[in-house]
Amino acid sequence: MSLAAGPGRGHVAVGQLPEELKLVVDKHVAYIQSLDTRKDELEYHLTEHLRIGGIYWGLTALHLLGHPDALPREGLIDYVLSCLCESGGFGAAPGHDAHILYTGYSVQILTMIDGFGALEERLPDCKQKIARFVASHQQPDGTFAGDEWGEIDTRFLFSALYTLSLLGYLPHQRPSEPPLINLPAATAYIKACQNFDGAFGVSPGAESHSGQVFTCVGALYIAGELDSYLGEEGKDRLGAWLSERQLPSGGLNGRPEKLVDVCYSWWVMSSMAMIGRLHWIDKAKLTAFILQCQDPDEGGMADRPGDMVDVFHTVFGVAGLSLLGYPGLVEVDPAYCMPRHITAQISK
Amino acid sequence: MASHGIPRVSGASLDKSEQAKQKERKQIDQYKALESEVTDRIKARDYSNATFQATSKLLSQNPEYYTIWNHRRRLLQDVFARELATGPSGPLIDETDAAAAQKAGLTLAQHEIALLVKEDLLFLIPLLKQYPKCYWIWNHRSWLLSTATQHLPVHNSSELWQGELGLVTKMLSLDSRNFHGWGYRRQVVKEIEQLNGSSMAESEFTYTTKMVETNLSNFSAWHNRSQLIPRILSDRQASSKQRQTFFDSEFELITRALYTDPYDQSLWFYHQYLMATLDASNDQALPILDPCTNTGRVDYLEREIDSIKEMLEGAEDCKYIYQALLEYSSRYIEVEAGNKKVSTVELREWLDELRKLDPLRAGRWRDWQEQLKL
Repeated sequence: MSLAAGPGRGHVAVGQLPEELKLVVDKHVAYIQSLDTRKDELEYHLTEHLRIGGIYWGLTALHLLGHPDALPREGLIDYVLSCLCESGGFGAAPGHDAHILYTGYSVQILTMIDGFGALEERLPDCKQKIARFVASHQQPDGTFAGDEWGEIDTRFLFSALYTLSLLGYLPHQRPSEPPLINLPAATAYIKACQNFDGAFGVSPGAESHSGQVFTCVGALYIAGELDSYLGEEGKDRLGAWLSERQLPSGGLNGRPEKLVDVCYSWWVMSSMAMIGRLHWIDKAKLTAFILQCQDPDEGGMADRPGDMVDVFHTVFGVAGLSLLGYPGLVEVDPAYCMPRHITAQISK
Repeated sequence: MASHGIPRVSGASLDKSEQAKQKERKQIDQYKALESEVTDRIKARDYSNATFQATSKLLSQNPEYYTIWNHRRRLLQDVFARELATGPSGPLIDETDAAAAQKAGLTLAQHEIALLVKEDLLFLIPLLKQYPKCYWIWNHRSWLLSTATQHLPVHNSSELWQGELGLVTKMLSLDSRNFHGWGYRRQVVKEIEQLNGSSMAESEFTYTTKMVETNLSNFSAWHNRSQLIPRILSDRQASSKQRQTFFDSEFELITRALYTDPYDQSLWFYHQYLMATLDASNDQALPILDPCTNTGRVDYLEREIDSIKEMLEGAEDCKYIYQALLEYSSRYIEVEAGNKKVSTVELREWLDELRKLDPLRAGRWRDWQEQLKL
């Protein structure tokens, strides 16, 4: 799956009024299907380090668009399995080193295509091995490193928690076994990343940032600690900061005084949904903004109207529309960014 | 990564000529050949200078290729380990190197490690300038510095970290909101403080003053300032009175800024930060006043409500002013039972203005109205 930008661009079709904007479902499906046929472009090869992410983004978009089988299942399974490393982690592409983020995407893909059976044949007791790989990255202060080199970021902590939860290896999912990770330490670390404005940064002391808000709120949500950690006042404070991300165009930005972007729109609105404050922004205007970012002729979505489309912005645009209740889309889970009917099967 | 802000191209330019396609095919072949070369060499554990140079070439073309950064570190680790194992009596000692090492007060191995680290730091500079938002470049830089700190005497590693402070200052002058840059700056400062055993809070605070004076809208600088204040006050062992004076001077600064541009969200967030220290219910607020008494709270709330009311003149269409008035008034009513300052009529007026000026967040204003029982 190529992450190369383009070929199309997000714009409003000639002669179309904003209120006539429609989601071009078939074109988005065709666009995602075409992504792996772009091997004659240099950018296809330059973005190999994002291949597994690209498959997760494309597959999720297809599921939400109601075309879950639009990519060949066997091909997906073969590819994901070819990214498996000896450690039990997954790399971004065959031959690439294992990393917690790409392990997370791989587990999300395997969950959506029901592929653990196939993996089990290759790697007996596969779920436990993956879970142990993830758990081994927890640090003494509760947070998680991304790989053996030790980079720290709340993205990795979130990835660790949702991966373990999809595998059924969070402590509360296995009450009779010794816990694989120290969950209270992980959530305490998240608390240390929270600022006076109610939002979260990438590490303790770092500036509030919407992407990091999504990872921290998502982690607390999956840990079942959202209410106990934030309370109504905390949700109000965070919700206020998040709602100020909406600009007159209807799109949302990532931090004060920055440009709007479809991907930030998703991270902000999914966080607002998790804390029950999604009604604090103008949903109709946000819907229109996202629709303006699609390429109505070739499919795909861009960060902003007029820019080149790519699969990353396509999934966050589609997921955003699903969360906003756009008709005909499959319901999305705001924490996992996967279809709700699939995450509903995760053991509690 | 995904494309951010890549402007549209016209349909015509997408149809590549046969010549352009051929050129692209050639580029792909060259890139794939280079990739195979690096991967094959690493598989064969060929940790030679030629392999190192090949990773440089590949990473210059594609700095997002994280596995290659990992290979580069594996190679460097191997070289460092060999240097350290060889010791002072190794067979390949270059006399000039030995003299240089001795002059610098380093062992030969340390001297070599320092040279290699410095060389690699230099290699990263043009890459950082070209890709200032690439996580892996910042990550590699930070690994080099940490590794050097492990192997070199304090004096030498401290010098390296000092150099980083200069670099990150330059990077932040190019993009004053760069998230990676600010994070790296905090890391660098922390390391220098640990190595030298002295706080840099004062000079970092002065740096944020300079940054906000250059651009009031720089919330990253305001944020960093907010983090430094409690440390400065503690470093100074400030008395209650001195803390108050400090707090007042911050209010003066932000009020002046707000008069310049009341429509700037960043400034209001900094004002909120100052006000949060008076809010006992905000457990993420940072301590500034000590002690912070209820009388103190009421006085400050009264003063700020008055001051913000004055800002309305000439900026009646500024929604942030009404937001602040409502927010601080509701807190004021909570702490001051005998409220004579704000009337319900006023609160309703402000909320009405807010609704008119900011219809995007109508749902939030509706919830607020219920909460305030207006």
